[in-house]
Amino acid sequence: MTAFIYTFGATGRVSLNALYALSRVCVLMVETINWTLVQPFRGRGLRMKAVVFNLVEYGVNSLPIVGLICFLIGAIMAMQSAYQLARFGATQYIANLVGVASMRELAPLMTAILLTGRSGSAIAAEIGTMKVAEEIDALEVMGLNPTKFLIVPKFLAMLIAIPCLTILATFIMILGGYMLSVFALGVDSDLYLNNTARALQMKDFATGFTKSVFFAVVICWVGVYRGFQVEGGAEGVGKMTTSSVVTSIFLIILVDLVFTALFFF
Amino acid sequence: MNDTSEHIIEVRDLVVKYGDRTVLDGLNFQIRRGETFVILGGSGCGKSTLLRNLVGLMRPYSGEILFNGRDITTMTDDERIEVRKRVGMCFQGSALFNSMSLADNVALPLREHTRLASSTIDIQTKIKLALVGLSGFEEYLPAEISGGMKKRAGLARAMAMDPEIIFYDEPSAGLDPIVAAGLDMLIRKMQSTFNLTSVVVTHEMASVRLIADTVCMLNAGRIVGTGKIDELERSKDPFIQQFFERRPDEESDTRDDYIRSLMGIDLPGNAT
Repeated sequence: MTAFIYTFGATGRVSLNALYALSRVCVLMVETINWTLVQPFRGRGLRMKAVVFNLVEYGVNSLPIVGLICFLIGAIMAMQSAYQLARFGATQYIANLVGVASMRELAPLMTAILLTGRSGSAIAAEIGTMKVAEEIDALEVMGLNPTKFLIVPKFLAMLIAIPCLTILATFIMILGGYMLSVFALGVDSDLYLNNTARALQMKDFATGFTKSVFFAVVICWVGVYRGFQVEGGAEGVGKMTTSSVVTSIFLIILVDLVFTALFFF
Repeated sequence: MNDTSEHIIEVRDLVVKYGDRTVLDGLNFQIRRGETFVILGGSGCGKSTLLRNLVGLMRPYSGEILFNGRDITTMTDDERIEVRKRVGMCFQGSALFNSMSLADNVALPLREHTRLASSTIDIQTKIKLALVGLSGFEEYLPAEISGGMKKRAGLARAMAMDPEIIFYDEPSAGLDPIVAAGLDMLIRKMQSTFNLTSVVVTHEMASVRLIADTVCMLNAGRIVGTGKIDELERSKDPFIQQFFERRPDEESDTRDDYIRSLMGIDLPGNAT
Protein backbone atom coordinates (compact mmCIF):
# COMPACT_ATOMS: atom_id res chain seq x y z
CA MET A 1 0.00 0.00 0.00
CA THR A 2 2.76 2.43 0.94
CA ALA A 3 4.60 1.49 -2.23
CA PHE A 4 1.47 2.34 -4.18
CA ILE A 5 1.08 5.67 -2.42
CA TYR A 6 4.75 6.43 -3.00
CA THR A 7 4.52 5.62 -6.71
CA PHE A 8 1.30 7.58 -6.98
CA GLY A 9 2.88 10.61 -5.31
CA ALA A 10 6.06 10.42 -7.35
CA THR A 11 4.11 10.18 -10.60
CA GLY A 12 2.06 13.17 -9.58
CA ARG A 13 5.09 15.21 -8.71
CA VAL A 14 6.84 14.40 -11.96
CA SER A 15 3.71 15.22 -13.97
CA LEU A 16 3.20 18.50 -12.13
CA ASN A 17 6.80 19.52 -12.74
CA ALA A 18 6.51 18.57 -16.40
CA LEU A 19 3.26 20.54 -16.72
CA TYR A 20 4.86 23.55 -15.05
CA ALA A 21 7.85 23.38 -17.41
CA LEU A 22 5.48 23.05 -20.35
CA SER A 23 3.46 26.07 -19.25
CA ARG A 24 6.65 28.13 -18.88
CA VAL A 25 7.80 27.08 -22.35
CA CYS A 26 4.39 27.98 -23.78
CA VAL A 27 4.53 31.44 -22.20
CA LEU A 28 8.01 31.85 -23.64
CA MET A 29 6.80 30.76 -27.09
CA VAL A 30 3.83 33.11 -27.09
CA GLU A 31 6.03 36.01 -25.94
CA THR A 32 8.70 35.27 -28.55
CA ILE A 33 6.22 34.92 -31.39
CA ASN A 34 4.45 38.07 -30.24
CA TRP A 35 7.68 40.06 -30.27
CA THR A 36 8.84 38.50 -33.56
CA LEU A 37 5.68 38.71 -35.64
CA VAL A 38 3.24 41.14 -34.00
CA GLN A 39 5.03 43.89 -32.10
CA PRO A 40 7.49 44.89 -34.88
CA PHE A 41 4.47 45.91 -36.96
CA ARG A 42 3.20 48.08 -34.14
CA GLY A 43 6.32 50.18 -34.35
CA ARG A 44 8.15 48.39 -31.56
CA GLY A 45 11.03 47.57 -33.84
CA LEU A 46 13.23 44.58 -34.33
CA ARG A 47 16.89 44.63 -33.41
CA MET A 48 18.18 43.76 -36.88
CA LYS A 49 21.79 44.48 -35.94
CA ALA A 50 21.65 41.87 -33.19
CA VAL A 51 19.99 39.40 -35.58
CA VAL A 52 22.83 39.81 -38.08
CA PHE A 53 25.41 39.55 -35.31
CA ASN A 54 23.89 36.30 -34.07
CA LEU A 55 23.48 35.04 -37.62
CA VAL A 56 27.20 35.39 -38.20
CA GLU A 57 27.90 33.60 -34.93
CA TYR A 58 25.47 30.71 -35.45
CA GLY A 59 25.73 30.41 -39.22
CA VAL A 60 28.97 31.63 -40.73
CA ASN A 61 31.20 30.71 -37.81
CA SER A 62 29.67 27.22 -37.55
CA LEU A 63 30.21 26.46 -41.21
CA PRO A 64 33.79 25.10 -40.97
CA ILE A 65 33.03 22.54 -38.28
CA VAL A 66 29.63 21.59 -39.72
CA GLY A 67 31.23 21.28 -43.17
CA LEU A 68 34.14 19.17 -41.97
CA ILE A 69 32.02 16.77 -39.95
CA CYS A 70 29.40 16.37 -42.66
CA PHE A 71 32.09 15.70 -45.26
CA LEU A 72 33.54 12.96 -43.07
CA ILE A 73 30.13 11.44 -42.35
CA GLY A 74 29.40 11.40 -46.07
CA ALA A 75 32.63 9.47 -46.64
CA ILE A 76 31.92 7.11 -43.74
CA MET A 77 28.44 6.41 -45.06
CA ALA A 78 29.81 5.64 -48.51
CA MET A 79 32.30 3.19 -47.01
CA GLN A 80 29.72 1.49 -44.84
CA SER A 81 27.29 1.08 -47.75
CA ALA A 82 30.07 -0.20 -50.00
CA TYR A 83 30.79 -2.88 -47.41
CA GLN A 84 27.35 -4.36 -48.02
CA LEU A 85 26.69 -3.35 -51.64
CA ALA A 86 30.03 -4.62 -52.98
CA ARG A 87 28.90 -8.18 -52.24
CA PHE A 88 26.13 -7.77 -54.80
CA GLY A 89 28.31 -5.79 -57.19
CA ALA A 90 26.04 -2.83 -56.68
CA THR A 91 28.52 -0.15 -55.62
CA GLN A 92 26.92 2.34 -58.02
CA TYR A 93 23.92 2.48 -55.69
CA ILE A 94 26.05 4.03 -52.96
CA ALA A 95 25.00 7.29 -54.56
CA ASN A 96 21.30 6.62 -53.90
CA LEU A 97 21.90 5.57 -50.33
CA VAL A 98 24.19 8.43 -49.39
CA GLY A 99 22.06 10.99 -51.18
CA VAL A 100 18.76 10.03 -49.64
CA ALA A 101 20.14 9.41 -46.16
CA SER A 102 21.98 12.75 -46.16
CA MET A 103 19.12 14.82 -47.35
CA ARG A 104 16.36 13.18 -45.34
CA GLU A 105 18.13 12.41 -42.13
CA LEU A 106 21.80 12.84 -41.44
CA ALA A 107 22.52 16.36 -42.63
CA PRO A 108 19.67 17.96 -40.64
CA LEU A 109 20.44 15.83 -37.59
CA MET A 110 24.20 16.42 -37.57
CA THR A 111 23.76 20.14 -38.14
CA ALA A 112 21.27 20.36 -35.30
CA ILE A 113 23.40 18.38 -32.87
CA LEU A 114 26.51 20.38 -33.69
CA LEU A 115 24.63 23.65 -33.33
CA THR A 116 23.21 22.49 -30.01
CA GLY A 117 26.71 21.97 -28.68
CA ARG A 118 28.04 25.12 -30.23
CA SER A 119 25.24 27.67 -30.01
CA GLY A 120 22.43 26.22 -27.90
CA SER A 121 24.78 25.91 -24.96
CA ALA A 122 26.11 29.40 -25.65
CA ILE A 123 22.58 30.81 -25.51
CA ALA A 124 21.91 29.10 -22.17
CA ALA A 125 25.24 30.25 -20.75
CA GLU A 126 24.83 33.83 -21.95
CA ILE A 127 21.31 34.27 -20.61
CA GLY A 128 22.19 32.44 -17.39
CA THR A 129 25.21 34.64 -16.76
CA MET A 130 23.17 37.75 -17.48
CA LYS A 131 20.55 36.58 -15.02
CA VAL A 132 23.12 35.93 -12.31
CA ALA A 133 24.74 39.34 -12.88
CA GLU A 134 21.33 41.08 -12.59
CA GLU A 135 21.65 42.20 -16.22
CA ILE A 136 18.18 40.88 -17.03
CA ASP A 137 16.79 42.90 -14.12
CA ALA A 138 18.69 45.90 -15.39
CA LEU A 139 17.03 45.53 -18.80
CA GLU A 140 13.61 45.40 -17.18
CA VAL A 141 14.23 48.39 -14.95
CA MET A 142 15.29 50.35 -18.03
CA GLY A 143 11.93 49.48 -19.56
CA LEU A 144 13.51 47.21 -22.17
CA ASN A 145 11.75 43.93 -22.76
CA PRO A 146 14.18 40.99 -22.33
CA THR A 147 12.21 38.96 -24.87
CA LYS A 148 12.61 41.59 -27.55
CA PHE A 149 16.12 42.39 -26.56
CA LEU A 150 17.61 38.95 -26.01
CA ILE A 151 15.40 36.18 -27.30
CA VAL A 152 13.99 37.45 -30.59
CA PRO A 153 17.37 38.17 -32.26
CA LYS A 154 18.62 34.70 -31.27
CA PHE A 155 15.38 33.07 -32.37
CA LEU A 156 15.36 34.72 -35.80
CA ALA A 157 19.07 34.09 -36.35
CA MET A 158 18.67 30.42 -35.43
CA LEU A 159 15.61 30.09 -37.65
CA ILE A 160 17.59 31.38 -40.64
CA ALA A 161 20.97 29.82 -39.84
CA ILE A 162 20.00 26.20 -39.27
CA PRO A 163 17.98 25.57 -42.47
CA CYS A 164 20.68 27.31 -44.53
CA LEU A 165 23.43 25.31 -42.83
CA THR A 166 21.41 22.13 -43.34
CA ILE A 167 21.18 22.70 -47.09
CA LEU A 168 24.91 23.31 -47.29
CA ALA A 169 25.58 20.31 -45.04
CA THR A 170 23.52 18.10 -47.36
CA PHE A 171 25.64 19.07 -50.34
CA ILE A 172 28.87 18.62 -48.43
CA MET A 173 27.79 15.22 -47.16
CA ILE A 174 26.93 14.10 -50.69
CA LEU A 175 30.29 15.48 -51.79
CA GLY A 176 32.01 13.42 -49.10
CA GLY A 177 30.31 10.27 -50.36
CA TYR A 178 31.14 11.21 -53.95
CA MET A 179 34.83 11.78 -53.24
CA LEU A 180 35.21 8.48 -51.44
CA SER A 181 33.26 6.46 -53.99
CA VAL A 182 34.95 7.95 -57.04
CA PHE A 183 38.52 8.15 -55.76
CA ALA A 184 38.72 5.18 -53.39
CA LEU A 185 36.09 2.72 -54.64
CA GLY A 186 36.40 3.44 -58.34
CA VAL A 187 32.73 4.27 -59.03
CA ASP A 188 32.25 6.19 -62.25
CA SER A 189 31.86 9.91 -61.54
CA ASP A 190 29.02 10.59 -64.02
CA LEU A 191 27.17 7.51 -62.89
CA TYR A 192 27.41 8.59 -59.26
CA LEU A 193 26.09 12.08 -60.01
CA ASN A 194 23.30 10.76 -62.22
CA ASN A 195 22.22 8.23 -59.63
CA THR A 196 22.21 10.91 -56.93
CA ALA A 197 20.10 13.23 -59.07
CA ARG A 198 17.65 10.47 -59.90
CA ALA A 199 17.35 9.23 -56.33
CA LEU A 200 16.54 12.58 -54.77
CA GLN A 201 13.00 13.90 -54.90
CA MET A 202 11.38 17.09 -53.79
CA LYS A 203 9.78 15.16 -50.96
CA ASP A 204 13.20 14.29 -49.54
CA PHE A 205 14.21 17.92 -49.56
CA ALA A 206 10.94 18.90 -47.88
CA THR A 207 11.52 16.35 -45.09
CA GLY A 208 15.01 17.58 -44.35
CA PHE A 209 14.08 21.22 -44.58
CA THR A 210 11.00 20.95 -42.35
CA LYS A 211 12.99 19.05 -39.78
CA SER A 212 15.74 21.65 -39.75
CA VAL A 213 13.25 24.45 -39.10
CA PHE A 214 11.83 22.62 -36.09
CA PHE A 215 15.30 21.73 -34.85
CA ALA A 216 16.12 25.43 -34.89
CA VAL A 217 13.06 26.18 -32.77
CA VAL A 218 13.99 23.43 -30.30
CA ILE A 219 17.63 24.50 -29.93
CA CYS A 220 16.78 28.15 -29.39
CA TRP A 221 13.91 27.62 -26.96
CA VAL A 222 15.68 25.00 -24.89
CA GLY A 223 18.73 27.27 -24.61
CA VAL A 224 16.64 30.27 -23.63
CA TYR A 225 14.46 28.30 -21.22
CA ARG A 226 17.43 26.72 -19.46
CA GLY A 227 19.19 30.07 -19.36
CA PHE A 228 16.28 31.69 -17.57
CA GLN A 229 16.15 28.76 -15.15
CA VAL A 230 19.62 29.54 -13.79
CA GLU A 231 19.63 30.24 -10.07
CA GLY A 232 22.55 31.05 -7.84
CA GLY A 233 25.96 31.60 -9.32
CA ALA A 234 28.48 30.13 -11.71
CA GLU A 235 27.54 26.60 -10.67
CA GLY A 236 23.95 27.17 -11.78
CA VAL A 237 25.13 28.44 -15.16
CA GLY A 238 27.24 25.32 -15.70
CA LYS A 239 24.46 23.00 -14.64
CA MET A 240 21.85 24.58 -16.87
CA THR A 241 24.23 24.79 -19.84
CA THR A 242 24.89 21.07 -19.64
CA SER A 243 21.23 20.39 -19.14
CA SER A 244 20.33 22.52 -22.17
CA VAL A 245 22.51 20.33 -24.39
CA VAL A 246 21.04 17.08 -23.05
CA THR A 247 17.42 18.28 -23.25
CA SER A 248 17.96 19.76 -26.66
CA ILE A 249 19.49 16.60 -28.16
CA PHE A 250 16.70 14.49 -26.68
CA LEU A 251 14.02 16.76 -28.12
CA ILE A 252 15.77 16.90 -31.48
CA ILE A 253 15.68 13.11 -31.73
CA LEU A 254 12.04 13.12 -30.67
CA VAL A 255 11.09 15.75 -33.26
CA ASP A 256 13.11 13.81 -35.80
CA LEU A 257 11.14 10.66 -35.07
CA VAL A 258 7.81 12.47 -35.39
CA PHE A 259 8.67 14.08 -38.71
CA THR A 260 10.26 10.98 -40.15
CA ALA A 261 7.06 9.14 -39.29
CA LEU A 262 4.92 11.90 -40.82
CA PHE A 263 6.87 11.94 -44.10
CA PHE A 264 7.01 8.16 -44.20
CA PHE A 265 3.38 7.98 -45.20
CA MET B 1 -0.69 62.55 -13.39
CA ASN B 2 -0.12 64.46 -10.19
CA ASP B 3 3.58 65.23 -10.47
CA THR B 4 3.81 68.10 -8.04
CA SER B 5 2.68 66.26 -4.93
CA GLU B 6 5.06 66.25 -2.02
CA HIS B 7 5.56 62.50 -2.06
CA ILE B 8 7.07 60.80 -5.10
CA ILE B 9 6.56 57.34 -3.63
CA GLU B 10 3.98 56.17 -1.17
CA VAL B 11 3.90 52.63 0.15
CA ARG B 12 0.72 51.36 1.78
CA ASP B 13 0.39 48.10 3.73
CA LEU B 14 3.00 46.34 1.62
CA VAL B 15 3.16 42.60 2.23
CA VAL B 16 5.64 40.42 0.34
CA LYS B 17 5.83 36.66 0.63
CA TYR B 18 8.17 34.01 -0.74
CA GLY B 19 5.88 31.01 -0.76
CA ASP B 20 4.49 30.82 2.76
CA ARG B 21 7.25 32.90 4.31
CA THR B 22 6.36 36.54 4.91
CA VAL B 23 9.38 38.69 4.09
CA LEU B 24 7.85 42.14 4.38
CA ASP B 25 4.96 42.51 6.76
CA GLY B 26 2.71 45.53 6.28
CA LEU B 27 5.09 48.39 5.46
CA ASN B 28 3.86 52.00 5.32
CA PHE B 29 6.09 54.92 4.41
CA GLN B 30 6.43 57.90 2.07
CA ILE B 31 9.40 59.24 0.15
CA ARG B 32 9.45 63.01 -0.34
CA ARG B 33 10.43 64.55 -3.66
CA GLY B 34 14.10 65.52 -3.73
CA GLU B 35 15.22 63.80 -0.57
CA THR B 36 17.73 61.03 -0.01
CA PHE B 37 15.83 58.20 1.60
CA VAL B 38 17.91 55.45 3.14
CA ILE B 39 16.56 51.99 3.82
CA LEU B 40 18.72 50.59 6.58
CA GLY B 41 18.74 47.16 8.10
CA GLY B 42 20.71 44.06 8.79
CA SER B 43 21.41 41.33 6.29
CA GLY B 44 18.31 39.35 5.41
CA CYS B 45 15.83 41.87 6.82
CA GLY B 46 14.13 42.22 3.43
CA LYS B 47 15.61 45.50 2.27
CA SER B 48 16.68 44.21 -1.14
CA THR B 49 13.26 42.62 -1.53
CA LEU B 50 11.69 45.98 -0.72
CA LEU B 51 13.81 47.63 -3.39
CA ARG B 52 12.85 45.01 -5.98
CA ASN B 53 9.21 45.74 -5.21
CA LEU B 54 9.68 49.50 -5.43
CA VAL B 55 11.14 49.24 -8.94
CA GLY B 56 8.53 46.70 -10.00
CA LEU B 57 10.81 43.69 -10.48
CA MET B 58 8.59 41.76 -8.07
CA ARG B 59 4.90 41.91 -7.42
CA PRO B 60 3.87 42.16 -3.80
CA TYR B 61 1.42 39.80 -2.14
CA SER B 62 -0.76 42.72 -1.17
CA GLY B 63 -0.59 46.46 -0.65
CA GLU B 64 -0.01 49.47 -2.86
CA ILE B 65 3.08 51.23 -4.16
CA LEU B 66 2.17 54.65 -5.51
CA PHE B 67 4.59 56.36 -7.88
CA ASN B 68 3.47 59.95 -8.43
CA GLY B 69 0.06 58.94 -7.10
CA ARG B 70 -0.41 55.90 -9.37
CA ASP B 71 -0.23 52.32 -8.17
CA ILE B 72 2.57 50.50 -10.02
CA THR B 73 1.47 47.08 -8.79
CA THR B 74 -1.69 47.13 -10.92
CA MET B 75 -0.26 48.78 -14.03
CA THR B 76 -0.23 47.20 -17.50
CA ASP B 77 3.15 46.46 -19.06
CA ASP B 78 2.97 49.52 -21.31
CA GLU B 79 2.21 51.84 -18.42
CA ARG B 80 5.04 50.34 -16.44
CA ILE B 81 7.50 51.00 -19.27
CA GLU B 82 6.49 54.67 -19.15
CA VAL B 83 7.18 54.74 -15.41
CA ARG B 84 10.52 53.02 -15.89
CA LYS B 85 11.73 55.67 -18.27
CA ARG B 86 11.54 58.05 -15.30
CA VAL B 87 13.31 55.74 -12.89
CA GLY B 88 16.96 54.79 -12.66
CA MET B 89 18.54 51.98 -10.75
CA CYS B 90 22.11 51.22 -9.68
CA PHE B 91 22.60 47.53 -9.03
CA GLN B 92 24.80 46.07 -6.37
CA GLY B 93 27.05 44.39 -8.94
CA SER B 94 26.51 47.33 -11.33
CA ALA B 95 24.88 44.94 -13.88
CA LEU B 96 26.56 46.57 -16.86
CA PHE B 97 26.16 44.65 -20.11
CA ASN B 98 29.49 42.91 -20.44
CA SER B 99 29.50 42.70 -24.20
CA MET B 100 29.09 46.46 -24.63
CA SER B 101 31.46 49.38 -24.07
CA LEU B 102 30.63 51.87 -21.31
CA ALA B 103 29.40 54.35 -23.91
CA ASP B 104 27.07 51.74 -25.43
CA ASN B 105 25.81 50.80 -21.98
CA VAL B 106 24.87 54.40 -21.24
CA ALA B 107 23.51 55.02 -24.73
CA LEU B 108 21.33 51.91 -24.73
CA PRO B 109 18.22 53.36 -23.04
CA LEU B 110 18.50 56.50 -25.17
CA ARG B 111 18.76 54.48 -28.37
CA GLU B 112 15.83 52.27 -27.42
CA HIS B 113 13.46 54.82 -25.92
CA THR B 114 14.14 58.03 -27.83
CA ARG B 115 14.40 59.08 -31.44
CA LEU B 116 17.42 61.29 -30.87
CA ALA B 117 20.04 61.50 -33.60
CA SER B 118 23.07 59.36 -32.92
CA SER B 119 25.31 62.44 -32.66
CA THR B 120 23.05 63.81 -29.92
CA ILE B 121 23.14 60.46 -28.14
CA ASP B 122 26.95 60.47 -28.33
CA ILE B 123 27.08 63.87 -26.68
CA GLN B 124 24.53 62.88 -24.03
CA THR B 125 26.56 59.75 -23.29
CA LYS B 126 29.76 61.74 -22.90
CA ILE B 127 28.01 64.21 -20.57
CA LYS B 128 26.67 61.42 -18.35
CA LEU B 129 30.01 59.66 -18.15
CA ALA B 130 31.76 62.95 -17.36
CA LEU B 131 29.20 63.56 -14.63
CA VAL B 132 30.38 60.46 -12.79
CA GLY B 133 34.06 61.16 -13.51
CA LEU B 134 34.56 58.64 -16.28
CA SER B 135 35.52 60.92 -19.18
CA GLY B 136 37.88 59.15 -21.52
CA PHE B 137 36.65 55.68 -20.58
CA GLU B 138 33.89 55.59 -23.21
CA GLU B 139 35.32 52.72 -25.20
CA TYR B 140 36.35 50.52 -22.25
CA LEU B 141 34.53 47.26 -21.63
CA PRO B 142 33.11 46.65 -18.13
CA ALA B 143 35.66 43.88 -17.57
CA GLU B 144 38.50 46.36 -18.06
CA ILE B 145 37.62 48.76 -15.25
CA SER B 146 37.61 48.55 -11.45
CA GLY B 147 34.65 47.83 -9.19
CA GLY B 148 34.25 51.46 -8.15
CA MET B 149 34.34 52.60 -11.76
CA LYS B 150 31.72 49.99 -12.65
CA LYS B 151 29.39 51.41 -10.01
CA ARG B 152 29.96 54.89 -11.39
CA ALA B 153 29.25 53.65 -14.90
CA GLY B 154 26.10 52.00 -13.57
CA LEU B 155 25.07 55.35 -12.14
CA ALA B 156 25.78 57.06 -15.48
CA ARG B 157 23.54 54.51 -17.17
CA ALA B 158 20.82 55.02 -14.58
CA MET B 159 21.07 58.77 -15.23
CA ALA B 160 20.86 58.37 -19.01
CA MET B 161 17.14 59.10 -19.30
CA ASP B 162 17.26 61.99 -16.79
CA PRO B 163 15.11 60.17 -14.24
CA GLU B 164 13.17 61.69 -11.37
CA ILE B 165 14.31 59.09 -8.91
CA ILE B 166 17.29 56.77 -8.59
CA PHE B 167 17.43 53.58 -6.58
CA TYR B 168 20.79 52.41 -5.27
CA ASP B 169 21.24 48.82 -4.11
CA GLU B 170 24.12 48.71 -1.62
CA PRO B 171 26.22 51.35 -3.42
CA SER B 172 29.27 50.96 -1.19
CA ALA B 173 29.26 47.18 -0.91
CA GLY B 174 32.64 45.70 -1.78
CA LEU B 175 34.39 49.03 -2.15
CA ASP B 176 37.26 50.45 -0.10
CA PRO B 177 36.38 53.39 2.19
CA ILE B 178 37.87 56.03 -0.10
CA VAL B 179 36.05 54.85 -3.22
CA ALA B 180 32.88 54.33 -1.17
CA ALA B 181 33.10 57.88 0.15
CA GLY B 182 33.57 59.12 -3.41
CA LEU B 183 30.41 57.34 -4.41
CA ASP B 184 28.55 58.86 -1.45
CA MET B 185 29.63 62.30 -2.58
CA LEU B 186 28.41 61.47 -6.05
CA ILE B 187 24.99 60.44 -4.73
CA ARG B 188 24.86 63.71 -2.79
CA LYS B 189 25.92 65.68 -5.87
CA MET B 190 23.25 64.10 -8.08
CA GLN B 191 20.64 64.91 -5.49
CA SER B 192 21.65 68.55 -5.03
CA THR B 193 22.41 69.31 -8.69
CA PHE B 194 19.38 67.71 -10.29
CA ASN B 195 17.00 67.76 -7.32
CA LEU B 196 16.90 64.02 -7.77
CA THR B 197 15.16 61.76 -5.30
CA SER B 198 17.50 59.02 -4.16
CA VAL B 199 16.50 55.79 -2.47
CA VAL B 200 19.52 54.00 -1.03
CA VAL B 201 19.54 50.52 0.43
CA THR B 202 22.55 49.98 2.63
CA HIS B 203 23.91 48.80 5.95
CA GLU B 204 27.01 51.05 5.98
CA MET B 205 26.51 53.44 8.90
CA ALA B 206 29.29 55.78 7.73
CA SER B 207 27.65 56.35 4.41
CA VAL B 208 24.20 56.75 6.00
CA ARG B 209 25.43 59.64 8.17
CA LEU B 210 26.84 61.32 5.08
CA ILE B 211 23.94 61.06 2.66
CA ALA B 212 20.67 60.42 4.46
CA ASP B 213 17.85 62.93 4.81
CA THR B 214 15.44 60.33 6.09
CA VAL B 215 16.30 56.89 7.39
CA CYS B 216 13.89 54.01 7.46
CA MET B 217 15.05 51.17 9.62
CA LEU B 218 13.92 47.62 8.86
CA ASN B 219 14.13 44.59 11.08
CA ALA B 220 12.66 41.17 10.23
CA GLY B 221 10.31 42.59 7.61
CA ARG B 222 8.90 45.44 9.71
CA ILE B 223 9.77 49.11 10.05
CA VAL B 224 11.22 49.74 13.50
CA GLY B 225 11.84 53.43 13.04
CA THR B 226 11.71 56.27 10.51
CA GLY B 227 13.17 59.73 10.78
CA LYS B 228 16.34 61.76 10.66
CA ILE B 229 19.51 59.95 11.59
CA ASP B 230 19.95 61.77 14.96
CA GLU B 231 16.34 61.05 15.85
CA LEU B 232 16.97 57.38 15.32
CA GLU B 233 20.19 57.54 17.31
CA ARG B 234 18.20 58.78 20.28
CA SER B 235 15.63 56.04 19.85
CA LYS B 236 14.97 53.70 22.75
CA ASP B 237 14.26 50.73 20.47
CA PRO B 238 16.64 47.94 21.48
CA PHE B 239 17.29 46.80 17.89
CA ILE B 240 18.10 50.32 16.68
CA GLN B 241 20.41 50.88 19.65
CA GLN B 242 22.14 47.58 19.03
CA PHE B 243 22.53 48.34 15.33
CA PHE B 244 23.95 51.82 15.91
CA GLU B 245 26.30 50.65 18.64
CA ARG B 246 27.39 47.75 16.45
CA ARG B 247 26.82 45.20 19.21
CA PRO B 248 26.64 41.52 18.25
CA ASP B 249 23.66 39.39 19.27
CA GLU B 250 24.12 38.26 22.84
CA GLU B 251 24.92 34.61 23.13
CA SER B 252 21.92 33.58 25.13
CA ASP B 253 22.50 29.86 24.78
CA THR B 254 23.20 28.15 28.06
CA ARG B 255 25.05 24.87 28.09
CA ASP B 256 21.76 22.98 28.31
CA ASP B 257 20.30 24.90 25.36
CA TYR B 258 23.36 24.04 23.34
CA ILE B 259 23.14 20.33 24.13
CA ARG B 260 19.44 20.40 23.38
CA SER B 261 19.98 22.04 20.02
CA LEU B 262 22.63 19.48 19.15
CA MET B 263 20.59 16.45 20.15
CA GLY B 264 17.20 17.83 19.15
CA ILE B 265 15.63 16.74 22.45
CA ASP B 266 14.03 18.44 25.46
CA LEU B 267 16.11 18.11 28.61
CA PRO B 268 14.15 17.71 31.84
CA GLY B 269 13.47 20.97 33.63
CA ASN B 270 14.02 22.99 30.50
CA ALA B 271 10.61 22.77 28.95
CA THR B 272 9.96 25.57 26.51
